[in-house]
Amino acid sequence: MRLVAAGLASRLKFTLDEIEDLKIGVDELAGYVIGPQGREGTLEIRFSILDDGLEIHGEGHLTSATKVRRELTEFSRVILTSVADSARLQQLDGVPTFDLTKKRN
Amino acid sequence: MAERTVLSKEEVREIFVSYGAAPTEEERAGYREQLVEQYIGLVEFLARRFRNRGEPLEDLTQVGTIGLLKAIERFDLAREVEFSTYATPTIVGELKRHFRDKGWAVRVPRRLQELHLELTKIVADLGQELGRSPTVSEIAKVAGTSDEAVLEGLEIAQAYNFTSLDAPMDGHNGGTTSFAEHLGTEDEHLENLEYRASLAPEMAKLPERERDILYLRFFKGMTQSEIADKLGISQMHVSRLLNRTLIKLREALED
Repeated sequence: MRLVAAGLASRLKFTLDEIEDLKIGVDELAGYVIGPQGREGTLEIRFSILDDGLEIHGEGHLTSATKVRRELTEFSRVILTSVADSARLQQLDGVPTFDLTKKRN
Repeated sequence: MAERTVLSKEEVREIFVSYGAAPTEEERAGYREQLVEQYIGLVEFLARRFRNRGEPLEDLTQVGTIGLLKAIERFDLAREVEFSTYATPTIVGELKRHFRDKGWAVRVPRRLQELHLELTKIVADLGQELGRSPTVSEIAKVAGTSDEAVLEGLEIAQAYNFTSLDAPMDGHNGGTTSFAEHLGTEDEHLENLEYRASLAPEMAKLPERERDILYLRFFKGMTQSEIADKLGISQMHVSRLLNRTLIKLREALED
């Protein structure tokens, strides 16, 4: 996931700093869904290429009944504000999802 | 820990004289053992400077002891320098070499290790030349490789454990100032109230340098390249430390 995001970003001429930020953002959001040890299930990721950036949408279809945090911590917000143009974590019909947008400067 | 008898300079000198003059290896071994016992405290002290690097202190002490043995072997009484002064760089050198050789957290093919080292230099040089963070294509062009290989090389950098806190700084600034010395100047800024208020308790437990990098990136809004410049380390090293720290924090949050 990090590599795909980085690969697409590099085609969009993101700088190395921007690519590193993108990876941090994706890790931070996906971490909520898959957890640090990894959870049973599938993580579906959709990458959309914009004129000047990248949109990433993730959905966690978890097979085990795991409690997933519904809200970003304050610290995660600080991180995501620094590394992305927008970031959101939510539950849609019980499915944990996240969205991230990162634009090129 | 067993009590150790601290010998005077003269007594140490005498042991060295006897060590040098001993006719048999058996006798030499006996004197050597006395010297090791006398200076193991120095080894432990120096090894402690390298802890929190993912290696048990006992292992580091063993590595340092190899350095001590080398120093004992090479020490020349005619130099008129105290043995501890003479031995310290040899012991530290042994510890640094250990990390240089074994710094990879997972086994990484040699080709990728070399690419990683090459990329570190290219990223630093290009950053200076362009006055901004380079793109992957720009790095690939200089490295004479594909964008994909560069991306792979950058990702593999995350598998590298760390660079010693006291290792000469990589990048373009030469090697006279250590990372630790650079970080010391940031302490007063860390008192910043906003930062402290946002500190989750688990963040407070982080090693100081990792907290400093977090602070510079997320609270001061500096880019990884800017932090790298400020601290005199490579951007890839900043990236590695940041990622590692964030993983630690996520794990702590989950516990």
